[in-house]
Amino acid sequence: MGINHPIDETLHHKDPPAGTTVSSLGTPVIDLDRLEVRLGGRTVLDGLTGELRGNAIGLLGPNGAGKSTLINTLLGFHLPSRGTAKVFGMDAVRDRARIRQAIGYMPENDSFIGNMSGVHFVRYMAELSGLPSNEALERAHEALFYVGLGEVRYRKVSTYSLGMKQLIKLAQALAHGPHLLILDEPTNGLDPMARQRMIQTIQEIRKEGSIRMLISSHLLLDIDETCDEALILKNGRIAALCNIEEERRSHRNFIELETIGAADSLAEKMRELGCECACFPGGRVKIVMPDQIEARDLYTVAAGQGVQIRRLHQRRDSLEDIFLRAMDNDRDSETKREEQLVGL
Amino acid sequence: MNNLTDRIIFDNVSKFYGEVLGVNRISLSIPPGVTTLVGPNGSGKTTLMNLMTGLVQPSKGSVSVLGLTPGDATEFFREVGYCTQFDSFPRGLTGWEFLMDSLMLHGMHPADAFKLSQEALERVGLGAAAVRKIAGYSKGMRQKIRLAQAIAHRPRVLVLDEPLNGLDPMARAESLALFEELGRQGMHLVISSHILDEVDRISDRVVLITGGYLIAEGNIHQVRQEVRDKPMQVLIRCDKPELLASRMFEVNHCVEARLHVDGRGVFLRTGDIDQFYTLLNGIAVEGLVKIETVAPADDDAYSIYQYLIGSDGGTAR
Amino acid sequence: MSVYKHNYRAYTGRLTPLWTRVLVLARYGLAEVWSSKITIGLFTLSFLPTIVFIILIYLANNPIARALILHGNDARDLSINAMFFLVVLEIQCWAALAITAWIAPRLITFDLADNALPILLSHPISRFGYVLGKFAALFGSLSLVTWVPCLLLFVYQGYSSAQPWAAANLQIASGLLFGSILWILMLSILGLALSSWVKWRAVATGIIVAAVFVPSGVGGIITGVLRTKWGFLLNMPFVMTQLWRRMLGAPELMWRDETIPTAAIVIMLLLVCLLCAAMLNARIRAREVVRG
Repeated sequence: MGINHPIDETLHHKDPPAGTTVSSLGTPVIDLDRLEVRLGGRTVLDGLTGELRGNAIGLLGPNGAGKSTLINTLLGFHLPSRGTAKVFGMDAVRDRARIRQAIGYMPENDSFIGNMSGVHFVRYMAELSGLPSNEALERAHEALFYVGLGEVRYRKVSTYSLGMKQLIKLAQALAHGPHLLILDEPTNGLDPMARQRMIQTIQEIRKEGSIRMLISSHLLLDIDETCDEALILKNGRIAALCNIEEERRSHRNFIELETIGAADSLAEKMRELGCECACFPGGRVKIVMPDQIEARDLYTVAAGQGVQIRRLHQRRDSLEDIFLRAMDNDRDSETKREEQLVGL
Repeated sequence: MNNLTDRIIFDNVSKFYGEVLGVNRISLSIPPGVTTLVGPNGSGKTTLMNLMTGLVQPSKGSVSVLGLTPGDATEFFREVGYCTQFDSFPRGLTGWEFLMDSLMLHGMHPADAFKLSQEALERVGLGAAAVRKIAGYSKGMRQKIRLAQAIAHRPRVLVLDEPLNGLDPMARAESLALFEELGRQGMHLVISSHILDEVDRISDRVVLITGGYLIAEGNIHQVRQEVRDKPMQVLIRCDKPELLASRMFEVNHCVEARLHVDGRGVFLRTGDIDQFYTLLNGIAVEGLVKIETVAPADDDAYSIYQYLIGSDGGTAR
Repeated sequence: MSVYKHNYRAYTGRLTPLWTRVLVLARYGLAEVWSSKITIGLFTLSFLPTIVFIILIYLANNPIARALILHGNDARDLSINAMFFLVVLEIQCWAALAITAWIAPRLITFDLADNALPILLSHPISRFGYVLGKFAALFGSLSLVTWVPCLLLFVYQGYSSAQPWAAANLQIASGLLFGSILWILMLSILGLALSSWVKWRAVATGIIVAAVFVPSGVGGIITGVLRTKWGFLLNMPFVMTQLWRRMLGAPELMWRDETIPTAAIVIMLLLVCLLCAAMLNARIRAREVVRG
């Protein structure tokens, strides 16, 4: 339609999010090639290979699977014994300083300098990332405003509550304008409202487009709400690497109902029509409907049986199903792995 | 109160730490099953749990658990198990030693203690690691050993302070299944949690607390219905949301309609939920509108939390 | 009229070169150290001896003033030579020890107390860079009480004395400079290493002082019991004094059996440095240190 500009040509086949530079379309965010990391004589990461390109990548896995070790390796805290890990094409060993320049890290545990005020701390971190002193102060205040820390920023960090400590960690990760934000359990210990705010902040950052994210969490709901790609680790290996959206679109399982009334007779009648039905206590019914039958028919049958339908939804594959499928239900080997890798 | 020995009873309890408020004028009667404590950090949940487990005494009022008070120490502590949120253990112990010691404190014979320890470890899924020192455990394993210690002596009341913290998704699901099972067996479980999605899944009752005051208590759906200044909201996804909304407005029950941002759904608020559904079912049968999804939009713990506690209940900014 | 929405925006300004980040660390370290009133107090106290020395130099070079003040009673030979400057150096270096014991914990312990290292090291700074930054802050502060006043005294003496004294005594100047530097290098690395191993600042302060004195006691015991002069190697103040004597060109000790050869002293100092480096290497780590 109209004149095709050269830039349009390159962007034509894909829909990049706003703010993505053309160069980043080709380079994966994280590129692992037979990455092996040994710690204390044990192989924690065992030959990880894969390319991660999502805007927000969820990092999942049981305890001891190697999530923290992977993050630590990307940050350059561990040396790979074999293989390579690349962030935006930069090697984790050779280009360590450049990678750290481009990364903002929000660790899981408490990590701060207690006797500094919040704004002093964030400014310090921004200056360490190369911002000149005045710009660092400006950006520090901006970051603090953005995450929602108000007057509190002038108090010493040691007096902060848990929620505030999480926010200050996020602020210092954002202040210098990273290209990759690594969040380790960002909603840890937050009450429901604070957790919702954190999730919203993460979603906003993702929408802004200039920052990719790697989020590690045990709460599948968090990952489900924020990420578009999932990397699932188990026993130091990749158990699954998938695009969450695509997985959801491809599986359409069944319909779940909550009813008041004679659910059994409803189920009977639906079976007569060719559906598979299962009844559960509390008036819950699960139905797999063949294509020719619609919701209207379901309602008609229900009305005929005097059943009131109170809830109706089509259950699609959730991240939980993807995760469970990726896991082997061998609990003993997991516990053994866990005890081998404690503290790492 | 009827059937004293079947409930955990708080009778107008207040607890102050010097001038600092723990909880103020709380009256509760907790039946068997899974009861969840929900509230912001610092709202008094831990105080409530400490009162329940006899670790602190109320400044005013009285607490009775299954008819017992901390005064009847031996029986009281045998019936109550507590899994705290705090991550401290006696130094130098292995998992086994920790469990055995806790059990023998109840006066058990080592052989019995051994059997019960084994059982508890199996239930939480911490088998071979129990021989190692706790100091070397990962966060998830420490959570599990704390849980094991709480359930080992087969108490009738189990108080759990954020028991899923640090557990990976499978361990979470297993623990939740365990709690549900224990609740069905007639135990009193009192669980405090921030993850309201999981609260919805397993709780029979919910207790909302903020600033040291009791805000709401009861079955989630009942509590929701009692929040009358916010009529029930239902999300209906269909192909013609505006048509549906106008049909619903024709009768008086629907007080508010809001289109979903994607244009394929509508949020409807209604004061009379029963009539609402009858109407909706009727419209669906007529076939003017193709209904994809019907879901209560705010009949869950998170919505109740939002309505009753809201953002101000949390961190001061 | 417009409504302004403040969203996150990327940073597109300039970045400072990589090597200046170490200076950022040093700058913030210095700010932290100097924000304490006790630091200022200690530094002020350290300059009191300097003032006394200035007066002494003045008296030494002005016979009239000397006669006036000392009323001719004092027949002591107040000559400004290497021995004089040895005393100056010794006293200022003791002051430096006291200051290190206070400052070094302030530099390191605050970072370790709340596990700030993972966040710190997730920025473009290496472990070595981190230690270097703190070291620079410490070294800079200690310079202010050691070679700076010592050299100032030297210059003052050179200025106020009649003959071309300075040119003739250049060895003293170099001895002051390098002797101080050697000492504060040692103190800095020792202070940082010991602070990184202890959780509380007060304890770190005590340990830094103890680290200098306790081995002296042990060395004394060894010397006494085994009747060998090598026990003195553990006595850091003692051997440093000997080293400074030689650097300043002051006359050697009379007692032959107490002199330790320079090589031995240097080797011992190197060993201490290596030990400290090993301690720092063990404690300054990004990976969260697991208890137990």
